[in-house]
Amino acid sequence: MSGDDHTTTGPLVSVLVTTFNRRRYLREALAGLLGQTYGRFEAIVVNDGGEPVADVVEHFADPRLTLIERRENRGKAASLNEALARASGTYVAYLDDDDRYYPHHLARLVETLEGDTDCGAAYSDLYTVRCRILPDGRRQVRGKVVSVSRDFDRFFLCCSGHALHMSLMHRRDLLQRTGPYNQRLSMLIGWDMVRRLAFYTDLEHVRDVTGECYAPAGEPDRTWRAGQLDRQAFLAETRLIRTTRPPKPWPRMPDLSVIALPDRIDDLAADRIRRLYAVTFMPFEVYLPAAPSDVARLGIDMPNLVPVPAAGGVSVEARVDAALDRLGGDYVAVVPHGVPMTLLWVEDALHAAVGDPTGRTAFTLTGHSEVRPAFVVGAGQLRRARAGRGERRLLDSLRGVGAEVREPRPGEWALGFERVFQAAESLEEEGNWVQAAALYNQIHPRFGNTRWMRERAAAALYRAGGRDDEALDIVGDLNRGRPTVSTLILEARLHRRCDRLNDAVGLLERARSILNAEGLPCN
Amino acid sequence: MQLITENFVVEEAVDQHYEVLKELGDCHASLGNHDRARHCYEEAAMLAPEKSGPAVGLGVVDIQTGRLDAAEQAFRRALRVEPDCAEAYGGLAMVYQHRRDYPKAFDTYLACLDKDADNLVALLGLFQTSCQMGSFAKVIHYLTVYLDRHPGDVSVLFCLATLYARDGRYREAVEALETILVLESDNAEAAGLLGDVRRKQAETAPEVMSP
Repeated sequence: MSGDDHTTTGPLVSVLVTTFNRRRYLREALAGLLGQTYGRFEAIVVNDGGEPVADVVEHFADPRLTLIERRENRGKAASLNEALARASGTYVAYLDDDDRYYPHHLARLVETLEGDTDCGAAYSDLYTVRCRILPDGRRQVRGKVVSVSRDFDRFFLCCSGHALHMSLMHRRDLLQRTGPYNQRLSMLIGWDMVRRLAFYTDLEHVRDVTGECYAPAGEPDRTWRAGQLDRQAFLAETRLIRTTRPPKPWPRMPDLSVIALPDRIDDLAADRIRRLYAVTFMPFEVYLPAAPSDVARLGIDMPNLVPVPAAGGVSVEARVDAALDRLGGDYVAVVPHGVPMTLLWVEDALHAAVGDPTGRTAFTLTGHSEVRPAFVVGAGQLRRARAGRGERRLLDSLRGVGAEVREPRPGEWALGFERVFQAAESLEEEGNWVQAAALYNQIHPRFGNTRWMRERAAAALYRAGGRDDEALDIVGDLNRGRPTVSTLILEARLHRRCDRLNDAVGLLERARSILNAEGLPCN
Repeated sequence: MQLITENFVVEEAVDQHYEVLKELGDCHASLGNHDRARHCYEEAAMLAPEKSGPAVGLGVVDIQTGRLDAAEQAFRRALRVEPDCAEAYGGLAMVYQHRRDYPKAFDTYLACLDKDADNLVALLGLFQTSCQMGSFAKVIHYLTVYLDRHPGDVSVLFCLATLYARDGRYREAVEALETILVLESDNAEAAGLLGDVRRKQAETAPEVMSP
């Protein structure tokens, strides 16, 4: 395919395509790539030791395609790194061999990154296509659902990821800071890279469906399956990702220094420190002020654990001051014995501290008391408070420099969207459709994810019955903007319920055309 | 808290294509676009051969177009796929009713209502069939069960009143018709039947009261 009809100006995009034993789908994936309305790209196809694909690539006779045929299978991360070594574009994009871009995929992402944004990375929405593989290898489409369409939230991204790797485009020069793909990982490779990018840039959410990723019906998600097959390996890789600390400075990522203050350096303390690694998802280091011999005796082999020499039996204040001299984080968590190590044990207070306009507040952790303070505060504020204060109690010294010490309020918690969303889902499970819809409508003005929440509100109102006009207003508006299969079906059902059968037919035909379309945009 | 990792349950997508085709078929069938409806149902059946819905839809279209043998085959196909499919029993009963085989239709409507006591098509079919056959007791039972769950359903209430009237149970017929007129004061059919029933009640009352 020639690029005559396509954009030939603009920044060069390097599209990395890794493939392994999927010749048939690779042909379709490349056809979708070469049909892009944005023509300024180079595609580097890496065959990761699978059946030969030279004829598939040569079939297109397009000079923008480069093939790296490798005999041995070294994994996806190695393939991506090999492709990156050849890449020369301003931007990097990704395409899996069994997925496909709609024609406007590259154009929308380039337009976004070249537009009015200071983001160095962007991601779009994709359809997850549930399909049945027919005996001849063709894919019979069973349904297309926008399975990930979430506005950027750094805390959530660090927790579990919300941008599909295939939908990502980023500046290539960011890789000089993030480093290459981690070849020690066998899963979650994409999440690891997106997470590392988030240390240096925000990610712009392009609210447009620009492609499809395929998932055979009845088969669980690959990552989920891997997690079930080998739970320990999955947890080890998750920990590896969460403890990866790319080079500083991190202009966008809060760095947390945890000062662990166990009552005694014993097995219980070691267990609690290990537990801390299991539940903390924001980047952190653990500073352990204790006698070096005690730390050696603990035998904890954890990344980012920094022993701080301190004489045995010294006060909490002295141990905190010793750690303060060493630590390099923007925020400090003071963690005495007794603080429960559960999910979000520290992130709520950290989130509140990051968003604190005064920069002076100390946000308490569960288990905090006046005699055993547990809190997160800006490192600078704690240093100011402790300067020359000697044995003065931690809270007194903080208050002495005007710091307020208080619990984080619900509006300051991390993952606020998830929490309210789950409350709305619970209402639905109880059959309280109208209340659920009202809550969905309250969520998006505060937390974003507008389209998603409006769709949920309309669906809840549909289920409630008797609120069809309200539901139609919402879903009709969504379909005038960016229709998806789900929203078209919902609007059709509402019209059908009101005996407007011709309207329903029109909407269902549109849904059907999206389901039947191969590689076409949905709107 | 348990964290959300996906916006939507992707499993929702598994039957989406089937549902679109099935609903399109239903809409076209209601609009009288029989060929289009048939085409949609056939495509839906290819996508989900394990579902009875498309065969039921095809059967309904066949009834609408007077192809009773084809309809019977379609409903039997649906029952092979899903032996408890109430709609397929209802469709099969309709076929028998069209063939004026009222006893078979009656029994098959009952089989449908055993699977789904809320099936309005079967209830009304049963009512029509029983009027032809003159046997009301079972129908009255099913209509009463239905009305316990849907007390405001005027069309079913009217059927019940009609059956009471035909069965000579005038007092119950009057009660049902008065309920209809409370719900719909301008219901002319109910008002007309109420007048008839009251006349018959008046004719029969002296005989009952005579020593």
